[in-house]
Amino acid sequence: MQSSLNIKQLTICRESTPLLSINECITGGEVLSIMGPSGSGKSTLLNWLTGMLPHGFSAKGSLFLNEQNITQLASHQRHVGLLYQDPLLFPHLNVADNIAFAMPKGNKKQRIEKINDSLKQLGLEGMAARHPQSLSGGQQARVALLRVLLSEPKAILLDEPFSKLDATLREDTRELVFAQIRQHQLPALMVTHDISDAHAAAGKIITLSADEQETRC
Amino acid sequence: MIQPRDLFTQSIQLSPALLMALLVIPVVGGLIGVLLPAFGYIPALDKTTFTLSGFYSLFNTAGFGTMLLLSAVSSLVSTLLAFTITVLILACYFNSPWLYRIQRLLGPILVIPHAAAAIAISFLITPSGMMSRLFSPWLTQWQSPADWLLPHDPWAISMILGLTLKELPFLLLMALGALAQADLGEKLRAQHKVAMSLGYCPMTAFFKVVLPNLYPFLRLPILAVLAYASASVEIPLILGPNAPPTLAVAIMQWFNDVDLTLRIQASAGAIMQLLLTMTLLLSWWLLEKLIKRFSYNSLINGRREYAGQLIMRFTQLLTVILLTVIMLSLIGLILWSFAGYWRFPDALPSQFVLLHWQHALQHMQTPLLNTITIGFIATFVAVILTLSTLEAEQLRARNLSNFASLLIYLPMLIPSIAFLFGLVWLQEQVGSHHAYFNVIFGHLLFVLPYVFLSLASSYRRLDPRFSYLAASLGVTPSKVFLRVKLPQLLAPILIAFALGLAVSFSQYLPTLLSGGGRINTITTEAVALAGGASRRVSAVYALMQMLLPAMAFLLAWFIPKLVFTKQNAAHYVSTSSTKTTP
Repeated sequence: MQSSLNIKQLTICRESTPLLSINECITGGEVLSIMGPSGSGKSTLLNWLTGMLPHGFSAKGSLFLNEQNITQLASHQRHVGLLYQDPLLFPHLNVADNIAFAMPKGNKKQRIEKINDSLKQLGLEGMAARHPQSLSGGQQARVALLRVLLSEPKAILLDEPFSKLDATLREDTRELVFAQIRQHQLPALMVTHDISDAHAAAGKIITLSADEQETRC
Repeated sequence: MIQPRDLFTQSIQLSPALLMALLVIPVVGGLIGVLLPAFGYIPALDKTTFTLSGFYSLFNTAGFGTMLLLSAVSSLVSTLLAFTITVLILACYFNSPWLYRIQRLLGPILVIPHAAAAIAISFLITPSGMMSRLFSPWLTQWQSPADWLLPHDPWAISMILGLTLKELPFLLLMALGALAQADLGEKLRAQHKVAMSLGYCPMTAFFKVVLPNLYPFLRLPILAVLAYASASVEIPLILGPNAPPTLAVAIMQWFNDVDLTLRIQASAGAIMQLLLTMTLLLSWWLLEKLIKRFSYNSLINGRREYAGQLIMRFTQLLTVILLTVIMLSLIGLILWSFAGYWRFPDALPSQFVLLHWQHALQHMQTPLLNTITIGFIATFVAVILTLSTLEAEQLRARNLSNFASLLIYLPMLIPSIAFLFGLVWLQEQVGSHHAYFNVIFGHLLFVLPYVFLSLASSYRRLDPRFSYLAASLGVTPSKVFLRVKLPQLLAPILIAFALGLAVSFSQYLPTLLSGGGRINTITTEAVALAGGASRRVSAVYALMQMLLPAMAFLLAWFIPKLVFTKQNAAHYVSTSSTKTTP
């Protein structure tokens, strides 16, 4: 079965003013890019998708993940992975344990093997016992990516994931992330303000506008 | 960096050394002052040979083991309880607006003196207290007060309750203070979100991600709380067992005994108290290491849910109970202070009178004046010393070393009963017989660390570019300090001042000892009255103890508002007048 993330007839309002409306279906391996100036509701959309819409906002519409309605599920029950612009690796755990933290429960030995294999695949061999802060920015970004992927999410959200990386690193990391998303056949939604990110994602691009719409919620 | 060589800069450079000396010399001197008599050396009593007799008589004192056990168990259990409840409340309300509501409800408890809090709790749980009145006679069938041993129960349950309730707000506010640091708080909240997006339930996410990174900021406050609880005097006096009491209370009784030879035993006791507190601090540290080692595997085992809902419900219930207990204690205290005839088991007095307040206020004048004078002078000196030390830090563009910072907190970690008696002896040796001066000096030792703790972070956060800018305009360092920095820090300075006053108002042991019992404050009176006959007068004194720091904080909150409104008004007048001039 093709995996999908389906945003049905979504309208988010701030107080009683409509902020944004979206009706999109993202299929596995596809990346939907959301662009727009600050204040256009990009991060509010992400908050709704993760089930953390803050006080003062209201939303109409529903969210289906692989045909299952998850609109009312709590954030931790959604199986939707998040990749931020900061890698946000846990400072009290080493690289391998950061990934182990994200993996489902299971046989200890198999977990360790899996971690080492995937570290090797992303060119992070020998980094398992390192402390996250001792890694370079690009390495940290890759560990954060591995952490999300090995948590076996059913969809993935990218919150300006490359904006803190410098130009050359940015392209490499971007290629890697999109390749992994395609390989795992995950539906993905990326919020960015950089048009080159959106082009590289090679999916549909939606631009949110900052002006408020006429109709009231 | 080229240092300016004016008088201000040179004198301010000396202040860190002065501050350290003021804290270290009395503490170390005080410790020597009990160490010598502990080994039998008291020239004043013609005892100049070193013996171990003090320790022998200490070990042979009836109930010595129980005293040690009481001190150790009550402080360890109360600290563990306070820490656990703090963590549970944080975990349960981490993403909820209730966290800040609870903070606002518990915050004021922080500045309630220990003695007042203990009196309020004792009124709640005593046989004819609020608790038994509320449940009688409909539930208990009691027509007369029950025959139970609360407070002063031999198992120290009342004392542990008192210590826990007093420590909890401190730990909670310290944790929230750490979370309020912009970089740390944001990072931890973002990581909490990451953990939830990885499928962790909020409770587990807190314990596995936030707590390990938050704990280092709680370590020092916890150790301070543990050290305090192991050697506190007011709370065990008012709530603790009597026969035998805790070690600290026993030491105080021996020191105050008319039999001067008991001094040797008391000094040996003070050394034992020091060892006990150090052992407890060390045990906590070991416990921490053990838990860290044995919980590491469960951090990464991938388990995402541990009865989170159940713990959440339990914590909510616990929070409600805690807040109710605190509310009832305060209400009970207020009712007693106005109560006329109050029959058991009525929940309310049958008449309300102002008599106790009038009576107490008439007799309170000297202690009240003492409390305020001592508090103001000690706090004023502490604030000046702290500000100049922090300014010296900025002038030489280097923060105090970790060792120096640790020294500042020394009086918080070393049990005061262990060095205060030595300090009194030291003050006699250097010929300082002025009781008032000695008391102020004693208070300064305890006020200074809190004032420093409260001011340091805001002073270090000041944008240095303001002073660079002012210097580039040709302003001297002293003017930068007085005209640029201090006005920006008005609000934190006033808060630090209020905190200093609150700390000074609450001091019992330093007032009693350094003043040789001749200087009475509201706190010493309240403790003395707590064991006495009139619950009504005692309630008035306890409430007075709460009102004083409350007023200090109210002023600290109000003055900056007043100043800023005035400035805004002045600004408005000047701009509107420029508009009207042709």
